[in-house]
Amino acid sequence: MPEQPILIIGGGPAGMEAARAIADLGYHAILVEKRNRLGGTPDEAGYAALTPDFRNAGEAMAEMAARIENNPFVNLKLNSTVTAASGSVGNFEVTIQNGQASEKINAGAVIIATGFQHFDPGRETQQYGYYEFDDVITLVDLEKMLRAHNVVRPSNGKPPERLCFIQCVGSRDRQIGNEYCSKVCCGIASKEAIEVRQQLPNCKVFIFYIDMRMYGYWENQIYWPAQEKYKVNYVKGIVTEVLKKGDRLLIRGEDTTMGRPMEIPMDIVVLSVGMEPSAGTCELAKIFGVQQNKYKFIETLGGALDTVTTSVEGVFACGAATGPADLEDSVSSAAAAAMKAIAAVRKHRPLE
Amino acid sequence: MIPSEALISKAKDRQFTRDPERAPTEDFHDILFDLEKEGEWEVQRVPEPYVEVETKYGRKKKIPLQHTWHHKSCGQCGHIPGYSTSIFWINRKLGFDYIDPTDQTSCTAWNYYASATSNAAAQAAVAMRNFAAAAETSYFPIIHCGTSFGHYKETRQQLIHSPELRRQVRDILKRLGKKFVIPEEIVHYSEWVHAVRDRIAEHQTRNMSMIRATVHPACHYHKLIAEDAVYDPEIYGAQRSAIITGTLKAIGVEVADYSTWFDCCGFGFRHILVSRDFSRSFATMRKIEVMKEEANPDVTVTHDTGCVTTLDQSQFAAQAHNRNVGVPVMSDSQIAALAMGAHPYKVLQLHWHSTDNKPFLQKVGIDTDKAWQEFEAAVEKLKSGEQQYLTWEDADA
Ligand SMILES: Cc1cc2nc3c(=O)[nH]c(=O)nc-3n(C[C@H](O)[C@H](O)[C@H](O)COP(=O)(O)OP(=O)(O)OC[C@H]3O[C@@H](n4cnc5c(N)ncnc54)[C@H](O)[C@@H]3O)c2cc1C
Ligand code: SF4
Repeated sequence: MPEQPILIIGGGPAGMEAARAIADLGYHAILVEKRNRLGGTPDEAGYAALTPDFRNAGEAMAEMAARIENNPFVNLKLNSTVTAASGSVGNFEVTIQNGQASEKINAGAVIIATGFQHFDPGRETQQYGYYEFDDVITLVDLEKMLRAHNVVRPSNGKPPERLCFIQCVGSRDRQIGNEYCSKVCCGIASKEAIEVRQQLPNCKVFIFYIDMRMYGYWENQIYWPAQEKYKVNYVKGIVTEVLKKGDRLLIRGEDTTMGRPMEIPMDIVVLSVGMEPSAGTCELAKIFGVQQNKYKFIETLGGALDTVTTSVEGVFACGAATGPADLEDSVSSAAAAAMKAIAAVRKHRPLE
Repeated sequence: MIPSEALISKAKDRQFTRDPERAPTEDFHDILFDLEKEGEWEVQRVPEPYVEVETKYGRKKKIPLQHTWHHKSCGQCGHIPGYSTSIFWINRKLGFDYIDPTDQTSCTAWNYYASATSNAAAQAAVAMRNFAAAAETSYFPIIHCGTSFGHYKETRQQLIHSPELRRQVRDILKRLGKKFVIPEEIVHYSEWVHAVRDRIAEHQTRNMSMIRATVHPACHYHKLIAEDAVYDPEIYGAQRSAIITGTLKAIGVEVADYSTWFDCCGFGFRHILVSRDFSRSFATMRKIEVMKEEANPDVTVTHDTGCVTTLDQSQFAAQAHNRNVGVPVMSDSQIAALAMGAHPYKVLQLHWHSTDNKPFLQKVGIDTDKAWQEFEAAVEKLKSGEQQYLTWEDADA
């Protein structure tokens, strides 16, 4: 009797990579994605270029999708989600819902790759005025404009003369309860700052930060070029509020290096929103009964040595469903999850 | 090129969804009731009929209409007695049953927020003593002061999470001969005013449409345990607390915005105690002057003892320096009562306020000289010993 297939939920970078790895090793994967296409948040939010190499995000996601579409080892179920699950490792019984239709499938192991959602700046940091001022936007909004080569003030359609990023919006904030660092926004903001300077050489660009967190090579790949080549101004000190002043915005905060309060007019304020677990991640955690951590990301139990094993045997999680992660992290943990899922299925293969 | 409108939405088109699931804290209601089941304490239910409002993350909060027990504030009774009188006056006009209790102690929040505090058990015991006093009457507590309100919510949080603290406080209450009982909701009086704003509007007798007001929300109302403050999608797109603004809109007052809306009134607890000049300059330069410059209001309306006092009584110092101040200050209960026809002195007791409010009253159509004479005549009766105190009939006469 052949092994049961491995069920993957979520068709973002992590889910796509897990499916590919399973197929490459000659096992069967069922991939359930709630949207009508693969590509995850980078596709849905319309990211322009990816860190660190400025690769076209659409192309990169399409390439990942192509490896599993029409792959005989991957059974793709788009517009679908998982609504119920029972059983245990070796034989999970899972209900998959597609519109009105629901079907039951059996799977030997499960990989949850349901990802993250962007922090909603209106939920807590109302002082930044995202839902009040047209010219306050998020990193994701700016990605869309960069992708279209049309960075303009939403209020009047004119290119900005001064644009700033506010870092750690919704992250590293004990008050809000998201004490964690979202890992990618410093790099993404710096990358977008470079792109703004490339597209609008006359626009002055500022980044207000607590401290800039650049992972590994991003330091040389993005951070130094942003300052030295593209003259982006990095200002240490967090902005406290965004106000309307005439037809511009006024940001108010503290310049901690200079040790004094500051007020600076801006045309566009970009909020560097971080990551929170997606609604799907919270739902799936409940359906499979896996532990979530205090921020509601899925808890993995192996610490640094095992980043994908959850509290339920045979259920693994990877990518941003387990915590803030960039693509590198997501794809690496997906491969690890694929490997562990196959091992779990083999160990529990029902006796013939 | 893709047109910019297609790329990016305007603020008004952005979809803001409030999701109770995503609140930063667990829903305390569930825990209150779980602890009640475990025999830890009793929960005093919000009496019917109540109005359900939505809090910051879309959780529901029940606001009782009647059968309310009014926990007052030391600063209020000393500085702005018309603030609570107005609340009672509105209750009477709406035909609601309430209690003006005598069995209440001061909350300990002033000391707490000025870092001159005792210990957690002592503070929680004071809160719970007051709640027990309310429960004994079977009337539901409504907290007048923003400071007590914030502090009691912090205390509730501590009690919920610390079995040891609950044990200590339960022991103290036992010695006082009081029950260990916590209200289902901690309700601020301005939430009640907000909940009855349409009824207030129905009883309105004075036209307020020529009035332009600014709003100062108390920090202790919407910044402490923020997930328990009232927000309404109709008001600032649920991006700022709906209290006061919603009430003013209901009575037809034009609400004008200004850029230091989120700022403190200047009170700041430690400041008012140890650095009073800082409070005065903050109140006048960061709040009143900014309002004047950007909105030029006839009045500014707030909902806390400390805020009314600081914003109102700091202006005299700035006036002496010829600064651009002079905005009358009052609570939402006072302006709501005024709209319903309350007497500016006998009910609102505006003579306790130090910034000149006559131009505002005259704009509402009140003959201030006549009103003052009426008030003096009433006071005469007290002076002569003919009467010991003013009655509600006197207030309405
Ligand atoms: C503003 C921003 C910009 C970024 N840019 C970069 C960058 O340039 N470079 C980089 O390395 N990283 C970047 N990242 C990080 C990157 O987006 C993540 O690392 C990556 O998307 C994580 O992949 P994932 O597959 O785990 O999750 P996701 O991309 O979130 O994918 C999850 C998938 O699961 C699906 N799903 C969710 N719930 C269900 C359900 N119930 N049933 C079925 N399917 C479901 C979703 O539809 C989605 O397709 C950025 C992040 C942010 C916040
Ligand atoms: S990556 Fe940068 S902006 Fe994002 S949370 Fe961490 S420090 Fe803040």
